[in-house]
Amino acid sequence: MKLPWPRSLFGRIALLIFAALAVAHLLTFGSILRERGELTRNMMMAYLGKDVATALAVLDRVPPSERAEWLPRLARQNYQYVLAPIDASPADASINPTAATSTPGDDSELARLLAVAIAGEAGAARVGQPRREPGHAQILLPLRLADGTALTLRLQPPGAWVSSGTALLLGLQLLLLAVATWWGVRLAVRPLSRLAAAANASHAGQAVALQAKGQPGPRMAELGPQEVVAAARAFNAMQQRIEQQLAERLHLLAAISHDLQTPITRLRLRAEQVAEPQLRDKLLADLQAMQGLVEEGLAYARTAQAAQEPLQAVDLNALVDGLVCDAADAGHDAQLSGRIDTPLITRVQALRRLLTNLIDNALKFGGSAQVLLQHRPHGVQIAVLDCGPGIPDAELSRVLAPFYRLDSSRSRDTGGTGLGLAIAQQLAMALGGELSLHNRPGGGLEARLALPLPQPLVATSNSQ
Amino acid sequence: MESTDHLLLVDDDRQLLGLLAPYLQDAGYRVSTASNGPQMRQQLAGQRIDLVVLDLMLPGEDGLSLCRDLRSRHDGKAPAPIPVLMLTARSEEADRILGLEMGADDYLCKPFATRELLARIRAVLRRTRMLPPNMQAASADARPPRERRFADWRVDTVTRQLHDAQGTLVPLTGAEYRLLQVLLDHPQCVLTRDQLLSLTQGREADAFDRSIDLLVSRLRRRLREDPREPRLIKTVRNGGYVFCADVEGVTS
Repeated sequence: MKLPWPRSLFGRIALLIFAALAVAHLLTFGSILRERGELTRNMMMAYLGKDVATALAVLDRVPPSERAEWLPRLARQNYQYVLAPIDASPADASINPTAATSTPGDDSELARLLAVAIAGEAGAARVGQPRREPGHAQILLPLRLADGTALTLRLQPPGAWVSSGTALLLGLQLLLLAVATWWGVRLAVRPLSRLAAAANASHAGQAVALQAKGQPGPRMAELGPQEVVAAARAFNAMQQRIEQQLAERLHLLAAISHDLQTPITRLRLRAEQVAEPQLRDKLLADLQAMQGLVEEGLAYARTAQAAQEPLQAVDLNALVDGLVCDAADAGHDAQLSGRIDTPLITRVQALRRLLTNLIDNALKFGGSAQVLLQHRPHGVQIAVLDCGPGIPDAELSRVLAPFYRLDSSRSRDTGGTGLGLAIAQQLAMALGGELSLHNRPGGGLEARLALPLPQPLVATSNSQ
Repeated sequence: MESTDHLLLVDDDRQLLGLLAPYLQDAGYRVSTASNGPQMRQQLAGQRIDLVVLDLMLPGEDGLSLCRDLRSRHDGKAPAPIPVLMLTARSEEADRILGLEMGADDYLCKPFATRELLARIRAVLRRTRMLPPNMQAASADARPPRERRFADWRVDTVTRQLHDAQGTLVPLTGAEYRLLQVLLDHPQCVLTRDQLLSLTQGREADAFDRSIDLLVSRLRRRLREDPREPRLIKTVRNGGYVFCADVEGVTS
C-alpha cells in the first residue's frame, strides 16, 4: 500500500523534519535504555550466582522446620525463593533457546546464563532447567537443597521498563518537537503563500485600471527575513514592469486605433464620392472591415478593464431583446426565446458587448441567431445557437484564443478579425461567468454563457 | 421664412472639412469651418450659427471644454444655447457620456457615413426647434435635467439609462433611448409617425414605413406595458402616439 504523501509543501516539510527528529530522538532514548539494561544485567551476573549459592548454603544448614522463616530474609528486591517444586508445566513453556515463542530471546539467554552462573557456584546437580511462568515475565529456576528438598527461585528479569515519569517526559519532548516543527515550517512557507496571494490578486485589468488612476497595483509587503524581503522586492519590481508593459500595450493600441480613424474617416467620405456603384460598395466594404479590425483590437485591449465596471441589477430580458431586435431590424434572422425575470447583478456594458459578439458571430458564420434564456441551478444560461457548419471538435476550445481563425477559405471571405470570440471569452471571465462552445447534434454551433445569479448581499449596489 | 440653417464644422483635420463642407452645402446648408478653438469663437462672434459640429479631439483646447463653453455663454442675445453635435473617434461609453454631460445634444462616432451625419444634424435641429411652446421656455435653461421621472421610472439623461421602481437597470438600445427621449420631451402631445421618425432618426417616413411602430412596440416591452392596453404610450387612431404620463425633471 502506498503511504499518503501530503500535497502541500507545508505538510511535506513538516512531516520530513518531524519524522527525522522523532526517529533520532527515539533512537537515542532506546540506546540509553538498552545500555542501562546491559549494565544491570552484568551487575546481576556478578553477584547473583554467589548470592544464590549463599542462600542455598544457609537453607542447607537451617532445620527444615525453620526454613520458611528464613525465606523473606534471603529474598531480594527482584528475586524470591519458594519452598516448592515448579508446578508441572507444559513442555513448551520450558525455556528453549532455539524455540523461543513469546519469550524475547534476551530473557532466555539471561535465564540460561543465570542458571550457569548459579551452577558454577552451587554445583550443577542443584540447578534445574529454567522455566517461564506462563503469562508472566518471571523466570522460574528449580533448585535442590542438600537434603533433596525442592526450592524455586522466582526472578524478575531486569527489563527495559520505563517509569511513568520518563514516559511523560518523552511525550513532552515529542510534543515540543512537533510544535517547533510546525512553527518553523510555517515561518518558511508563509511568505510563499503571501507571494501566491499577491500574484493572484494582480490580474492584468486591475493593474492597468489602477495605473490609469495613478495607483500602483497590489504589492507584497517587504517585511520579514532577508530572503523574503529580497523575494518580495523582486516580485514587486516584476509586477511594476508587467503593469508598465500592459499600460504601454494599451496606449499603443489606442494610439494606432485613434490615428487610423482619421485616414479611415477621410477615405470613407472619399469613397462615397466614387461614381461607379460596384467599386464604391467594395471600397466601403473594405473600409468597414478595416474599421472593424481597429475597433476589435481596441476592444480586446480594453477587456482588461472590464472588471472595473460597477455591478448593477440588470433586466436581462430587455438587454437581450434589444440586441435581437437590432439584429432583426438590420435584416438578419434573429430570434429570442425564454425569459429570465430575476434581475441579474452584472456589468452591463461588458455583457452587452459579449452578447453582441456572440450574436454577430452566429449571424456571420451561421446565417442566423437564436438566443435562448434559461434558468440553471446556480445561475442563468444564455445560449446563442446558429445553423451554420459548426466548428471541428478539436478546435472548439482553440477558437477562443485571440487571432485564431479556422483555416477555411469561408471564414477568410467573411472577414472575421479572429478577436470576436476572444473578446467574448475575456469578458465572460470578467463577469465571473463561463463561455463554452458546443456543436449542436443537428448541425450548427451553440455558444453557451453561464452566469451566476445575484448574491443577496450585492443586490443593493445600484448605479447611483 | 425658412432661411437656410448655418452650420459650423470644427475639426483639426482640414481635409475632412474640405470633404464634408461641399456635401452639406449640397444638402442645403450654409457651412462655415474652423480648425481650432480660437477660430470657432471668431466664427461664432461674427454671425448667427444654428448648429456646431464639434470634434472631441482638438489641438489645444479640446472639444469638451469648447462644448462646455458654448453651453455657458448663451446670454440675453441668444434665446437658447446653440445645439452641438459631437464627433468622436472613440466609441467608448465613457467618452460618449462625458460628451453628453458637457452638454452635447448628440454624438457621432468616426468614421461615419455622410448620410448618417446629415440625418443626425437634421434630427438635432428638429428636436431643438419642434418643442411645443410650453417646453421651449423650460429648455431655455441651459442644461437638460440630470434625471427625469415618470410613473415608476427614472431616466438618467447623462448615462442614458432607464431604471425601474426597484432600481433595476433596463438596458435600452440607441434607437429605443432616442424614442423615449422624444416622448419625454413631448408628454401629453400627439406625435405623428412622421414626426417621431424625423425626430428620432432625422429621416422622412414613406407611406409603408412601419419601423416606428416596431420601435414603439419595443419600447412598450421595455416599459413592461400590456400590449393590449398600454398605459404610458397610447396609440392615437390615424394620428400617431401620445405619451400619457407626467414627466418630472430633476436637475443636478
